[in-house]
This record gives sequence, structure tokens and C-alpha cells, in this order.
Amino acid sequence: MAYLARTLPKRVFAPSLTQSIHQTRAISTATLQSTPTRTTQHTPTNQPRHPLPHRSYHSALHARLPDHSYTNSQTAILTSALAHVPTHGFSATALTLGARDAGFLDVSVQLLPRGEFDLILFWLASRRGLLRGEVEGGELFRRIAAEKGKDVHELGVEERVRGLLLERLRMNAEVKDVWQDALAQMSLLANIPLSLTELHALASDILTLSGDDSVDATWYTRRLAVSAIYASAEVVMTRDPTPDLADTAAFVERRFEDRKALADKITGIGQCAGFGWNTAIGLGRSWGLKI
Amino acid sequence: MSTMSTRSAWRALHYSAKRRAFQPSTPYRCFSCANRAQEQKPDDRMTHFGFTNVPESEKEIRVGAVFSSVAASYDRMNDLMSLGIHRLWKDHFVRSLNPGSCLPAMTADQRGWNILDIAGGTGDIAFRMLDHATNVNHDMETRVTISDINADMLAEGRKRSLDTPYYNTSRLNFVEANAEHMPHIPDASVDLYTVVFGIRNFTDKQAALNEAYRVLKPGGVFACMEFSKVDNPILDGIYKRWNFGAIPLIGQVVAGDRDSYQYLVESIERFPSQEEFRGMIQKAGFLIPGQGFENLTGGIAAIHKGIKPIAKA
Repeated sequence: MAYLARTLPKRVFAPSLTQSIHQTRAISTATLQSTPTRTTQHTPTNQPRHPLPHRSYHSALHARLPDHSYTNSQTAILTSALAHVPTHGFSATALTLGARDAGFLDVSVQLLPRGEFDLILFWLASRRGLLRGEVEGGELFRRIAAEKGKDVHELGVEERVRGLLLERLRMNAEVKDVWQDALAQMSLLANIPLSLTELHALASDILTLSGDDSVDATWYTRRLAVSAIYASAEVVMTRDPTPDLADTAAFVERRFEDRKALADKITGIGQCAGFGWNTAIGLGRSWGLKI
Repeated sequence: MSTMSTRSAWRALHYSAKRRAFQPSTPYRCFSCANRAQEQKPDDRMTHFGFTNVPESEKEIRVGAVFSSVAASYDRMNDLMSLGIHRLWKDHFVRSLNPGSCLPAMTADQRGWNILDIAGGTGDIAFRMLDHATNVNHDMETRVTISDINADMLAEGRKRSLDTPYYNTSRLNFVEANAEHMPHIPDASVDLYTVVFGIRNFTDKQAALNEAYRVLKPGGVFACMEFSKVDNPILDGIYKRWNFGAIPLIGQVVAGDRDSYQYLVESIERFPSQEEFRGMIQKAGFLIPGQGFENLTGGIAAIHKGIKPIAKA
């Protein structure tokens, strides 16, 4: 912006543009609810201007990293082990049965050095891949839009984020009863770094797929917010007795409202501090201070 | 004056400590033939025996002599040399392999694991694996074949098996064999192949790995625990000092055999690093799970694993 202001001739730098610059700045401090863009935008709106697919800031020249780094044999064992998870949980038994189903021996589970935790990581990574597949197929956003009675292009970033988060949570429905064990495994000291990496990857994927293209500090705060909401919703989900996870959905809605309220508060405090500072400067100048 | 006398006393002690195995001053000559028995054949390849180089044909005999001499005091010496840590390593090794099936087998021929414990003469690993299978997984079918090249070590293991519930059952077998060539074991018949603190003494390690690949079933696991390279330089300094200073001395005092333990520490020093050995396992055709090795106590020992792939891709 500053660069633009410097290069523009004086007379083009009209009051309307200055106003719009301030407006954009004020909005970019609020997280998630709007999409500040890098291009100069005279009337910023709460809706993304471009329908998907739009230009993301991820390089199209570099192929995306695979969802997980398991080899073919490992994937074969893990994939067939997932079928046993609803009955046996994320356990060594499920892994052994998976190895047998894939034509391996009982001893072949040695192929997975982390044991049960590998099964959990594979579950997380493969569900993340499925979510991406659903979005890239296009049907997911169409369904979310239909639920809200809107057109796909009218969906805001936040609505998309909410929809993706709930969709991801619904994928856990079949392992809901054994998920507490998995959370316990993930919170073991040695497993925490990989668990957090996976959580970040999920939050990042959700935001990227929703069309979020923030490039400033909000890149971090948004991922943090989505991670926090997802992680807490997962805990709520394990104790949700409703069949279609209605309680969890309500919980997620409330957290998004909270987040919005919090963001509004922070913006308000920021504005208030800004006015206060300007007043102080003005007062100082009126007293003849050289500031 | 006093320093001089202590120094000369130390030197005398030190000299006596370096007692070498008896070597005749003149080479042995067979009177009934023209060739000298010890004469080296020109095409004989050399290999290392500790820090010295010996012909490949001779290494097996030399290693045999070392282990025959240490068989009786083997366990006591291991405790003293590793300060008891070798027991923790072995327990961890067996627990991580989790031998035995806790689930009922799908077919009759898959009942229990067929484990081959190479260089496991004294039965350290074999008894632990059978205990784990029986007590943890309630698997009464898993069986272990202990294979060792050295009859004295096997005799020690047989003696110890008297105190275990596996004595004289079909779950425990002893076989005297060279791990580089085991024609008595059919192809694709073994679930788990273990070699613990043994592969270092093999004349041709790659041949032993290839033989392991042959006898394992597809999906079977090769697991090896061996001394390795310490990555922390401070720990490495202390460890080397202990190895070359203390261990031969303990060997001399406790087992009355300095040279065998001198060989032991030299062979540890000569063993390839974690990455090199992983490369050798890969070269034999095994799949490497994850990083391929797990360091124990900062890399003093390392567990290597390889899995035989199901179909050759």
C-alpha cells in the first residue's frame, strides 16, 4: 500500500482511495470474517470476489506433498487395519488383523515402527486426503450451499471453513467410540510433536480449501483458531450421543460465534487505542510539543 | 624414586597383562608333506579379526576359539562389561518384537511363530522370546530354533534350558550351523530371524543377510541388535576409554582371558555404522521400516530391522 501511495501522482491519490486504504486495514485486523486481498479493492465486501477455483498463493508449479509418507506395503497393512478399528480400536490387534488381511504375517507389523500411533496418524492423514478429494470434486461445497439455500459462489470463506470442519468431524463418526483412546495416545509426550503437525496440516488444508488467502499475521491466527476449534470439538464429539453429531455441530457454531466476538473485541480495543494515541499526539501538539 | 618403582611395577603388570595366545616361534611344518600347513594360499581373501587382518578361512576358527574360551563366564562378563545394561537392551528388543500371536490363527499351519535365533548359543534371547510369547500373548505354539556355530556356546545354552519350562519340548531346538550357509532350513519357513550381538563376528556378513532373506517367509522380519557407533562425542570418548581400558582388564581378572576380550572390543570398533549396516540389509532385499534402526543408550547398541517383501516388485 505504502509503495502504491508513493508511486501514485498526488492528484490521483484522492480522498476516496485513502479512505479505502484505512478500511482495508481495519478489516484485516479482524480474523476470518473477511478476505483482505492484496490487490487494491475500493469496496471490500465480506464475500470473496472470485468463485472457486481462484488463484491461490500456493505455487502451481510444485506438486503438493502426499498426505502421508508411508510405503506401499505399509499403506496396504494400514488400510486393511482401518476396517478393524471400529471394533478393536486403534490397537495392536487391529494392526495384526490388518496385516493378516493384507496377506502379511503377524510379525510384519514390525513394518510400522510406531505401532498403534502409526495407525492413528494414517487415519488422520487419509481422512484429510478424503476431505481434499471431496472439495476438489466440487460436490461438498454444493451440498453445503444447498443446506443454506444459497448458490456455491455466494458462500463466504467462514461458511466454507465451518462446513469443512463439520464434514471432517463427521468422518470421525464411525470411530467416535474409540477416539478417546486415540486422543490419549496422541497426547503421550513422544507423540505430541507429530500430533500437532497433523493438526496444523488439517487446519491449513481447511483454510486453503475454503479459499482463504491471507498472507499477513492472520495466516497464523486463523490456523490457530481453526486448530483450537477442531481439537476441542473432537473431545466434545467423543461424548456426543446424538447420531448425526448435532451436539458437536452446535458446539462448533458456538465456538465460531465466540471467535467472532473475540475478534470484534480485539478490533475494538485496537481502534480505541489508536484513537487514544492520536488524541494524545494532538493534545501534545496543541501544547506546543514538537511531535 | 618412588615414582620410578611404581612405574616399573606397573610396566611389569601391564606386560604380564598382555599375555598372548601361545604361538610357536617356528611355523608348524608337516613332515609328511612338502607344504607348510599354515602357508597362505595365494587366492585366499583377507578379512579383519579385531584390528588384525587374517585370511577368511582362518577367521571362523579364531572366532570359534574366542567364544569357546568365554562360553562359561559369558553372562557374568556381559553384566560386568555393560554394567547390567545388556539386560535392558535385550528386554527392550524382545518387547518391541512382541513375539507370539494373541489372536487365534486363521489356518493350522500359521499357528505360532517359527523363530530362528542365530548366534544365540546361550539362549539369552530365545528364553526371553518364549517367555514373552507364553506369558504376554498366551501363545503356547511359538517355537525357537537356536542356531550357533560354536558347540561350547550351545552346550551352555542347553545347560541353562534345564531351568526353563521349555527344556525337552518341541518349542526349543538347538542346531549347530554356520549362519552363512544353512541348507537344513528350507526356503521361506521362518517368521522371525534374530541375531543379537553376533553378526559382528561373521566372516561374510552380506552372505549371512542373503541367507536370512532366503529362509524368511514373505512378510517375515529380520531383527538384529548389535554394537554400533555412538553419535555424541563426549559419550563416545568415555565409551572408548571404557572399552579399551576396562573391558580387557575385567576379562583378565574375571574370565582369565584378556585376548578374547581384546578381540571383542576391537570387533566392536570395526563393525559398520548404523547407516552402512542399514545399506547392507537393504542390499539383501529387505524393506526398511522408517529410519531402519533404533539407537540404544546413545548408539552404543542399535536395533536394525528389515522385512522381506511379499511380492518382488
